[in-house]
Amino acid sequence: MIKVTKLDKSFKDTKVLNGISTEIVKGEVVAVIGPSGSGKSTFLRCLNGLEIPTAGEVKVSEVPISNKSLNEIRVKTGMVFQHFHLFPHLTVIDNLTFAPIHVKGIDKHEAESQALELLESVGLSDKKGAYPNHLSGGQKQRVAIARALAMKPEIMLFDEPTSALDPEMVKEVLDVMKKLTHTGMTMVVVTHEMGFAREVADKILFLDHGSIVEEALPSKFFSKPETLRAQDFLHKVL
Amino acid sequence: MSDILPSIPFIIKGIGVTLQFVIVSGILGFLIGVLLALAKLGKKSISKVLADAYTSFFRGTPLILQLVYVYFVIPQVTPWDITAFAAGVIAFSLNSAAYVSEIIRAGIQAVDKGQFEAAKALNVPYRTMMRKIILPQAIKYILPALMNEYITLLKESAVVSVIGAMDIMRRAQIVSADTFNYLGPLTVALVIYFLMVRILTFFGAKLEQRMSFSD
Ligand SMILES: Nc1ncnc2c1ncn2[C@@H]1O[C@H](COP(=O)(O)OP(=O)(O)O)[C@@H](O)[C@H]1O
Ligand SMILES: [Mg+2]
Repeated sequence: MIKVTKLDKSFKDTKVLNGISTEIVKGEVVAVIGPSGSGKSTFLRCLNGLEIPTAGEVKVSEVPISNKSLNEIRVKTGMVFQHFHLFPHLTVIDNLTFAPIHVKGIDKHEAESQALELLESVGLSDKKGAYPNHLSGGQKQRVAIARALAMKPEIMLFDEPTSALDPEMVKEVLDVMKKLTHTGMTMVVVTHEMGFAREVADKILFLDHGSIVEEALPSKFFSKPETLRAQDFLHKVL
Repeated sequence: MSDILPSIPFIIKGIGVTLQFVIVSGILGFLIGVLLALAKLGKKSISKVLADAYTSFFRGTPLILQLVYVYFVIPQVTPWDITAFAAGVIAFSLNSAAYVSEIIRAGIQAVDKGQFEAAKALNVPYRTMMRKIILPQAIKYILPALMNEYITLLKESAVVSVIGAMDIMRRAQIVSADTFNYLGPLTVALVIYFLMVRILTFFGAKLEQRMSFSD
C-alpha cells in the first residue's frame, strides 16, 4: 500500500530524514515512535505529499508521490493533526461535508447523511450544529477523525492525535481509533501512547535522528528492543 | 459668524463630492489591492517582486505629490485633459491599493498555518481553500484594518483640494477667502469631517461585531 525507498528530506541545510525505507501493507496498523525532533511528523507528512522528498521515493498504491500526483495521493489518504485544525467558522457537520461537497462534488444531502453516520460512529451526533470552539479537545479530535473519514480514504495518518489532550480525554479518542482498526483501515500513527501502540499496532517503527533505528513487532519491541537507543527511549517513557 | 451662515449649504454640498470621491477610490483601491495581495501570496516570483515594488513605491512617496503628478503630468504626456476628480480618483485608488494589499496579505498570513495544511490534506483546491476556508477567517483581521484605511482615505481626501476639486475642504477655503473669515468656514469643515469619521467608525464597529459569531 505504501512503499518508502531511501527517503531523504532536508530543510535548507538540515537533514531531517535520512535514508528511510519501509513498506506498509494494506490493513496494517503501524505505530511510529521516537524522541521529539526525530523526524516523525516529517516522515508522516511525506506520506501524503505535505512534504516533497529531497531524495528517494514514496509510492502510495504504486503511484510515486510528485507534484503531479498530489491530488491522486491525497484522495487516498486522510490526516489527523495534533492540534485538530478544524475549520472554526464552520459547524461540525459543515466541517465534515466541506471536502466531500467541494472536492468530490457530492450532493449536499448525501454528504450530510454520510456525515451524520460518521458523527454517530464517533459518538457526537448531538454536536452536529456546534462550532468547533465550543467543543472539548477530545470532541474536536473525534470530529477531526470523522472529517478525514468523510473523504473515504484508504489510508489514515495520525500525527500525535492525543498529545494536545487533557488526560481524561485521551481514551475517547483512542477508542475511536481502535474501532477504526477493526474496519481494516491502513493506519500510520505517530504516538507517545505506548499502551495503545503495544495493543493495536501490527508493527512499530522506531525513529531517531531521521532514521528507522528499529522496525519490529510490538511484542518484540516492547519486551526485547534490539538497539541501545530503543532501550534507552523505552526506559525513559515507560 | 452670522455672515457665513448663507455659505454653509455651499460647504455642505462638498460632502457629496467628498463621498463620491472616497467611495469610488475606495472600491477601485480595494479591487486593485486584492489583485496585488493575490500576487504577493502566489507562487510566481515575478508577480511577487512587482507587487512588492508597487507597494513600496506608493508607500514611499508623498500622496500629495502622487496626486499632483497625475494631475499635471497626464495632460502633458497624453492627449487626455484630465479632470481634478479623475486625477484624484486615480492617485487615491492606486495609493490605497498599496495599503489594502498589505492589510489583506497580513490578514491571510495571520490565519493559523494548520488551516492551510488541513485543507491541503483534504485535497481542497487552492481557490476553494482561499475563498471558503482562509478568507472567512482572515476577514476578522482584515476588516478592522480596512476600516482604518477608509477613515484615513476620508480624511486624506481633503488633499484633492490642492488641485481644485470642489470637496468640503476646498469649499471651506473658498468661503474663507471670500469673506475674510477663517474661523467660521474652517470650523464647519472640521465638524463635517469629524461627524463623517464618527459615522464610519460606528458602522465599522457594528460590522466587526457581526463577524465574531464563531468565537
Ligand atoms: N518546515 C520545517 N523547516 C525547517 N525545519 C523543520 C521543518 N519541519 C521540521 N523541521 C525540523 O525537523 C526536525 C524534525 O521535526 P519533526 O519531523 O517535527 O520531528 P518530530 O515530529 O519527531 O518531533 C526538527 O529538528 C525540526 O525543527
Ligand atoms: Mg511531531
